[in-house]
Amino acid sequence: MSLTASITAPARIIRYSAANALADMRHMYTWKTWTFGWLGRMLAQVTFFAFFGHVIGSADQTRYLLVGNAVMTCVIESMMVIVSTTWERRVGTLTLLSAAPAPLSWVFIGRSLQWPVSGTLTSLAALFGLGPAFGVHWRAGQILPVTALVVLTAATTYCFGLFVAAVAFNADGARNIISNATYLLMMAVCGVQVPTSYWPDWVRVVAQAIPLTQTLKAIRSVSGGTGPALVPACWAVLLGVGWLVAASWMFQLMARRGRRTGSMGTGA
Amino acid sequence: MSAIEIRALCRDYGVGRAGDKRTQALSDVDLTVELGEVRGLVGPNGAGKTTLCKILSTVLEATSGSAQVLGHDAATDAATVRRHIGIVFGGDRGLYGRLNARQNLRFWAAMYGLHGAPLRLRVDELLERLGLADRAGDRVDTFSRGMKQRLHLARGLVGDPRVLLLDEPTVGMDPVAARDFRSLVGEMRAEGRTVLITTHDMAEAEAVCDLVTMIDRGRVLLTDTPSAIGEVVPRHERVVAGAVPEQTRQALTALPGVVSVEQEPSGRLRVETADSSVTGTVLRLLVEAGVSDLSTQRPNLEDAYLHLIGDRGMAVG
Repeated sequence: MSLTASITAPARIIRYSAANALADMRHMYTWKTWTFGWLGRMLAQVTFFAFFGHVIGSADQTRYLLVGNAVMTCVIESMMVIVSTTWERRVGTLTLLSAAPAPLSWVFIGRSLQWPVSGTLTSLAALFGLGPAFGVHWRAGQILPVTALVVLTAATTYCFGLFVAAVAFNADGARNIISNATYLLMMAVCGVQVPTSYWPDWVRVVAQAIPLTQTLKAIRSVSGGTGPALVPACWAVLLGVGWLVAASWMFQLMARRGRRTGSMGTGA
Repeated sequence: MSAIEIRALCRDYGVGRAGDKRTQALSDVDLTVELGEVRGLVGPNGAGKTTLCKILSTVLEATSGSAQVLGHDAATDAATVRRHIGIVFGGDRGLYGRLNARQNLRFWAAMYGLHGAPLRLRVDELLERLGLADRAGDRVDTFSRGMKQRLHLARGLVGDPRVLLLDEPTVGMDPVAARDFRSLVGEMRAEGRTVLITTHDMAEAEAVCDLVTMIDRGRVLLTDTPSAIGEVVPRHERVVAGAVPEQTRQALTALPGVVSVEQEPSGRLRVETADSSVTGTVLRLLVEAGVSDLSTQRPNLEDAYLHLIGDRGMAVG
């Protein structure tokens, strides 16, 4: 396969698979139910946590909690990839995908892209829409870098979520538990509610490998003007690519295991 | 080179909560399907038909033995095998219901390496050929069972496979849709494709297959033409008659050379005879008794199926 083909072939499958993701999104939401249902729920969650800072009476604490929880909304949604990856098995297409020449991972990369896209919009609405209500104001020069970093957070978290989805590939019944447990752990250790310095060293080391820790550090730097945002952003890109490669490898491994054990879906 | 070559194929499954007990889905299966052949694989549920299809389509590994498609081993050269095969499963599942028919086929065409104009042409050609062009833009969720099955076949053909594996493709179809599907299988044969079709439906196997392999409990019982398999049952002839008086029935039962006299669910009497001279005697008796609703039959594939596998095979649908 030529270099061009090795890029265009996966890109094509990801694009067609993303059309499937879009169809799912359209089936689940109208713009009204997304805005007043999903977005409303997420803004209520951010408000809940930001209000603690307000009650404490510290503007810094309020800013910390609002930014952390606003960014967390795109993480929650991106981690839905763990759940939607199991849908192929449920609709009976997994057997057919396993018997097709293209790798499974190409399909799964595109199959859940609705989540990071929707998650990005949710986070931006929380940061720029809800922020000023809690005294978190944004200068014009901050909007573009923060937007780019939120996109990076959603994208790299999606890559991490794909890896977890691949690990949980054969645990169909536990998909919701795994998804929820993973993002709650991230919420605890990645600097969303409390600084990473709160945790023991070994937890901090683990947290550094999760892209959210890096992107959140970068967003807080831009938001508070406290340090360089480029270094953690570059780390996040590297980690995202690493998790994506690991996810592709894990999907191959799980497919091989499934072929051996007979768990690659029943006849469609 | 054969299209499909299976030698001493075995597949075990772990059963029970711990998976420590083993059950054998396939046991020492040998099977050869020649290029361009339409081969039927018939047997009851649990016979091993779907397991065999899964191994050939590379989604399941055999415990031992070998399965080759067009000379490529399904275990060690799976990537090549996948490029040469198309799979069609029966039933509603296996399609993306929220996409339309064209989007479904475009996705699968991309999975088989097509792109650009060839992809669009292939998809449009298949939609036209399978009679789905008018509904190409409609969501698959809104399709009837027959239309979904045609889309399944189109999906199976999108990679232009030389070998097609059809696993219970007409299950749940109404008779008209099933007949149309069979004529499509005939077209596949005319194009020189090799087709392996699994079914419970003896009429279907008789209608479309060059050869039929009977399989039960993971073992191949026999392989032959549908008509030759009919000869496997004892060479009895059969007379079927309606409105037979009780006295005549008793006379038939007592007649030398009559093997059995049974009432069919329809109420008609089925008389099995040892040879054609006895059949003549039975017919004369019935005519003399004023019976005009009469027919004679030779054993068919269904009789052979029942003879070899027993009533257990017919209890599943």
